[in-house]
Amino acid sequence: MHKEWLARLIILVLVGMVIVLPTIAWRQQTQGILVHARMAETGGWTPEVITAQVGKPLHLRLTSDDVLHSFAIGQSNRPAVDIKPGEISDLTLTFDKPGTYTFYCTRWCSVNHWRMRGTIEVTGPQPAVAAPATPPLYLTLGLDIDAAHHAEVLPQHRPSASRATGLGVPVPAVYRSHDYYLSHTPVELWKALRAEQSFEQLSDQDIWDLVALIWKSNSTPQAVQEGKALFATHCAACHGEAGAGDGVFAGVLDPSMNEAQATMAAGETTVRPANFTDPNPMLSASPARLQGKILRGGMGTGMPYWGPVFTEDQTWSLVAYLWTFIFDYGG
Amino acid sequence: MDINQAQEFSLQNPVIEQVEAQTGRARRPVSAGQPDRLDLLRISWLRPFLVSQWPQFLARAITLTGFLFTLAAGLFGTRVGSHNFAIIFVWLAWWTALKLVFIPLGGRSWCSICPIPLPGEWLQRGGILSPGQRRFGLNLRWPRRLRGSWLQWGGFLAIGLFSALTLTDARVTAWVLLGLFALALVLSLVFENRSFCSYLCPIGGFTGIYAQVAPLEVRVVDSSLCATHNEKTCYQSCPWGLYPLALRNSAQCGLCMECLRSCPRDNIAVNLRLFNSDLGQPSRSYRLDEAFLALMMLGSALAFSAVFTGPWGSLKSAAFAIGSTRWALYALGFLALNLVLMPGLFALAVWCGQKWSGIKTPLRGAIASQSQVLLPLGLCAWIAFTISFALPKLSYILSVISDPFSWGWNLLGTARTGWSPEVSWLSPLIQVALLLLGLFGAASLARRLAQTTPRNSFRQVLPGLAYCLAFSIAMLWLLVG
Amino acid sequence: MFRWTLFLALAFVVLFAPVPARATTPADRTFHIQASRFAYSPSVLTVNPGDRVTIELTAMDVVHGLSIDGYNLQTTATPGQTARLSFVADRLGVFHFHCTTTCGNMHPFMIGKIQVGQNSLLWRAGGLAILALAAGFFISCR
Repeated sequence: MHKEWLARLIILVLVGMVIVLPTIAWRQQTQGILVHARMAETGGWTPEVITAQVGKPLHLRLTSDDVLHSFAIGQSNRPAVDIKPGEISDLTLTFDKPGTYTFYCTRWCSVNHWRMRGTIEVTGPQPAVAAPATPPLYLTLGLDIDAAHHAEVLPQHRPSASRATGLGVPVPAVYRSHDYYLSHTPVELWKALRAEQSFEQLSDQDIWDLVALIWKSNSTPQAVQEGKALFATHCAACHGEAGAGDGVFAGVLDPSMNEAQATMAAGETTVRPANFTDPNPMLSASPARLQGKILRGGMGTGMPYWGPVFTEDQTWSLVAYLWTFIFDYGG
Repeated sequence: MDINQAQEFSLQNPVIEQVEAQTGRARRPVSAGQPDRLDLLRISWLRPFLVSQWPQFLARAITLTGFLFTLAAGLFGTRVGSHNFAIIFVWLAWWTALKLVFIPLGGRSWCSICPIPLPGEWLQRGGILSPGQRRFGLNLRWPRRLRGSWLQWGGFLAIGLFSALTLTDARVTAWVLLGLFALALVLSLVFENRSFCSYLCPIGGFTGIYAQVAPLEVRVVDSSLCATHNEKTCYQSCPWGLYPLALRNSAQCGLCMECLRSCPRDNIAVNLRLFNSDLGQPSRSYRLDEAFLALMMLGSALAFSAVFTGPWGSLKSAAFAIGSTRWALYALGFLALNLVLMPGLFALAVWCGQKWSGIKTPLRGAIASQSQVLLPLGLCAWIAFTISFALPKLSYILSVISDPFSWGWNLLGTARTGWSPEVSWLSPLIQVALLLLGLFGAASLARRLAQTTPRNSFRQVLPGLAYCLAFSIAMLWLLVG
Repeated sequence: MFRWTLFLALAFVVLFAPVPARATTPADRTFHIQASRFAYSPSVLTVNPGDRVTIELTAMDVVHGLSIDGYNLQTTATPGQTARLSFVADRLGVFHFHCTTTCGNMHPFMIGKIQVGQNSLLWRAGGLAILALAAGFFISCR
């Protein structure tokens, strides 16, 4: 009869092992906050708000429940960490200053991918001193970035900066200043240059080429490259790789196409992504307007707000790159 | 003598050892009517493994542990199917083992170590190895109306409709398994024997019919010895409710070996035999449920090959979008294929055969008989499909063994093994060879059937064979086309 | 015995008889494949042996990959960044390509196929199927 008891013992031990061992392992490993990433439509980040302390390392265990995501901290140069479905990525962060840090996903995971954001509230021994916030330029200028705008004059051909270098005409300093670039549209610059007496012999197209050259001089090639990389990662999916507003999600956002289904909040109406190759809106927009749109977003049109994510330098680099869709910077 | 006493008897009176002691070696009466059979119990080193209860018990303990662990992984681990132990081990590892090893080599051999009916069996018996004093269960007979394999293939069809979700979502798999586990337990407490296994288990349905093709069987050696044995301990101890003396067909036998352990005359053999051994005689019962099951397995092989290994994305999306109109259309198509097209065409083929050969047996009987040729055909088709479906994904097993829940473990150091979908050039050739083998088996079986008709009429079976050829060509196109 | 030899000889012929190949000049072929959950569009590509094939993979909703069996080639595409894969189709036959970045539940079944030249295996297998049927029927095993 002892065979029966031996058999029962074996079963008990094995079943016990199955229940106890994973439970022990699970309890032992909670030294870190488990963060689940899901597509925005099915929950986004869980948890969405994480608390941390200045100086104390924050251990995060990131996993995805559906598709490839990644984790990045806004306004920082820390590279993004890929979060693969079914795998756990460990990350340790340490914060020097208290404040609210935004974390976001940088791998396109749906048309609402940009809504995948959360915050890390970092508290410290001293209360967070809110740095006096400088308002973005468009607010200082009093610019209504939602107002319709169109270019009264359009170039015959695509303005080319390299063609203008052959003209060999000196441009008055006022037009070459960075402040002028930031607050004026290319059309305004063209009209101002057209009115200059010293440029009377130049053709309209030559003046446009000058405008392109001046615009180019307000950024560095490195900034344009950085802008290009940012555009490819964050913007091309909607705006298209060639900036023509025909990205893979354009159909989903365009209300005139039946697949429009990207609104997540009631009352939102998305619009087709902007076409940066169209000179009409582009030439009548100032860098300040573009920066404003990027920072503030589209207020329900489907255009994300990038304020918490891009640093100021990154924003201006992106703006600099946008001009390359209508201007030929050459080189 | 009832079931308890029979088992006590077999444990306390090891007649097998007595016979060996008297004769010096295990000499067993050679049966009169069993040509082409190799009795595995005569192999001296193999015999203890089959006769002793321990190897089978330990195997069952391991499968039970694995099953419970699978449930835990499915319920608590990551939802990402390709990284969850439950999905990989149920639908890849176990399914491949079932289709490539257990069924083609052992028939219903998986049933002998399946963990699902275990708790119910133990409660019915009142003990694990030996029957106990307190037994649980009402021991009712399974209702006559629900006998046959109708419920089994109905269950398999239902799983097929939701397969895109079940096979890929760890939670769903866990709940389905838990449901079957609970159902088996409840049925064991109400009905006698392994009723769940015999009449409800969707796996048991096709395992049973294909067991008739497989090369393993349990049979009585010399029936004249049984004539003088009144207690019939073999019948008392069979958990499947079978009578070994009357066993002519392996479809219902779960290879649990309890009968040969309780036989006082060591008169039951575990035989290795040729393929298709149970088949070739016209059906006497005219039951259509097994014919339907065989046809449905063919239809499912086609459907699953198209959905899972084919390049048609809209079909896969339709199969996955459960609840939508697309899915309803897919479900309609799936059911029409399995319930209307496949059976209808086969019935037509059999009817044509009847007309052409002028044989006047009822159509129903002819369908039931000729559906036997679909068994080797279907078995080989399913093995070929499994090779297409599972072989490219077997590398998932390595990563899932090290991190079953995807909690960041790395038990064996293989957690980060990437998926390598590279499939060897050999696999299409193996699939072609299998489909050809199935066709060959179907044709030789058809010839055997034709020879039982008066006039040896080949015409009767030829249209049915044309049906088999059409099916094979369709499978070839789906798998290697 | 004679029957076995006959069938085996016929099988040999079907298996190894050279199939007259259509003479084609290698050309440059470009395919624009859109990858979404869980399909490639187009999912069946047909090229001639020797063609210089370029696949431009555009991911339409999430990150997808494409890996071609038999050619051991792989690439990954993110929405907004088209990926390119170029190779010479020098190996004959039917090759499946799979997604290599987990894109959801049905990811392991996101499959397409590229056929280089004629699918002689399918034709030969069809011929062998007829032979297998005849062999099973006319050769007695007992």
